[in-house]
Amino acid sequence: MASSSSSGLTFKLHPLVIVNISDHYTRVKSQLNPPPLTSTSATVNGVENQQQAPRVYGCVIGVQRGRTVEIFNSFELLYDPSTHSLDRPFLKKKQELYKKVFPHFYILGWYSTGSDAQESDMHIHRALMDINESPLYVLLNPAINPAQKDLPVTIYESELHVIDGIPQLIFVRSSYTIETVEAERISVDHVAHLKPSDGGSAATQLAAHLTGIHSAIKMLNSRIRVLHHYLVGMQKGDIPCENSLLRQVSSLLRRLPAIESEKFQDDFLMEYNDTLLITYLAMFTNCSSTMNELVDKFNTAYDRHSRRGGRTAFI
Amino acid sequence: MDIEQNQAELIDNFVKQASVQKGTALGSVILEATSHPSLFAFSEILAVPTVAELEGTENSVYLKVLQLFAHGTWSDYRSNCSSLPQLVPDQVLKLKQLTVLTLAETNKVLPYDELMMELDVMNVRELEDFLINECMYAGIVRGKLDQLRRCFEIQFAAGRDLRPGQLGSMIQTLSNWLGSSDNLLVSIQEKIKWADTMSELDKKHRKEVEARVEEVKKSVSVKKLQTVSRPKLSSEGSRISTLNLVE
Repeated sequence: MASSSSSGLTFKLHPLVIVNISDHYTRVKSQLNPPPLTSTSATVNGVENQQQAPRVYGCVIGVQRGRTVEIFNSFELLYDPSTHSLDRPFLKKKQELYKKVFPHFYILGWYSTGSDAQESDMHIHRALMDINESPLYVLLNPAINPAQKDLPVTIYESELHVIDGIPQLIFVRSSYTIETVEAERISVDHVAHLKPSDGGSAATQLAAHLTGIHSAIKMLNSRIRVLHHYLVGMQKGDIPCENSLLRQVSSLLRRLPAIESEKFQDDFLMEYNDTLLITYLAMFTNCSSTMNELVDKFNTAYDRHSRRGGRTAFI
Repeated sequence: MDIEQNQAELIDNFVKQASVQKGTALGSVILEATSHPSLFAFSEILAVPTVAELEGTENSVYLKVLQLFAHGTWSDYRSNCSSLPQLVPDQVLKLKQLTVLTLAETNKVLPYDELMMELDVMNVRELEDFLINECMYAGIVRGKLDQLRRCFEIQFAAGRDLRPGQLGSMIQTLSNWLGSSDNLLVSIQEKIKWADTMSELDKKHRKEVEARVEEVKKSVSVKKLQTVSRPKLSSEGSRISTLNLVE
């Protein structure tokens, strides 16, 4: 039902909202599918619950300055399936609480999870229209799609369109940008890179770190490949020469090799040698302490019969 | 990036003007284009058919000037001074800026001496002023001036118009880059596998050692049951001697 928004509002979404919604959904989903205690109960539960992914609902709050709408935060709401409406008294209470802490934030709309906006959502949308005359609907698609490159988050606005002679409210998709402050970026990054709880093992930490680097380089690789393909096509004549792009590519390539001065080699090798030296020293200390313990145990175990008169061991 | 966007409008403008005019009038268009402070790209204008027609006519000097601005440097101009018309100061400035861009193509670190020679500048102060005001503030170059070592470290330089042969070398560089990043990906994956296998081996080793310790413990406790009747004095003595050791 979405075409494209014509209201001219620019939307800025903070990553905190996305993390909140996904966290809410994950919690509800894992609470509905508890870890199986016995294998038989698991199969029954698993088959049932896999068919309905739970939908979670909540409110998004933020600031609207002129034509820019910035969504900062979100909180959860209970959905009453019998009346198809959100829990209003709870909403009011939360609104007051948030007003005390963030006096500038208004309720901008609501969020939910699912793959597409549905007709029943319009009901909730209309209900919220008394708080905000044009609420937003933020939809998160929890299905993990490895081929998809963008975030599975869409923002819908409501517009009055005349369909078959009847003015109706329909959802229209709007574009948005992600906006973040440095503190938020650091914390979201930290949450995203949660190590496993028994991450004491050096190997798993190393593997996680290397995997992060691997995916970053893979992204760079794919982009370079696109450029390469484009230039080869241009050389063969399949694509008309576009000079401005060629100029940009040449200026980019001129930046390679990125670091190659003598000074860099010196510093790099020095730091490398320092690290190796420290590791060696640590190994040494470890070895000598183990050796010391071994000797102590040896003395205790085997000098039992020759120890009369308090002679101390020779080490 | 931004330079290209700034230039896009200007380029369209000049291309339109150039396609409309002919002959001597083109000369004035070219003059205007080459002295414009924010225009650094001339290959589009060179591609306009009316400009190409100038070749061989008495106005071919204008074509030569345009080609000089597209691919040449200040020293090219000085060596061919006779065959080219006199340049106005704006054009001289632009040509010098383009010279810096060309120099940036080959090296990332440009010594002051080389820059001074190429740009015909006598002292360091003038050179630095030129670099700062004309090149960095114009946004075509970004870098650091190292006065102690008398060099200019370039981090970013805008692209000049491409000579026909340069496309091949660019493709070569790109394929090298692709190759090295592929190798890097492969070696990272190997390292991850190595780390995992090492930790597996370590765990196995640990388990084996613990199993052996358990075995030995069991055999020792079996032996102890047999030797419990030995004189207790020796165990006393050993306890006192261990205390000495600990202290």
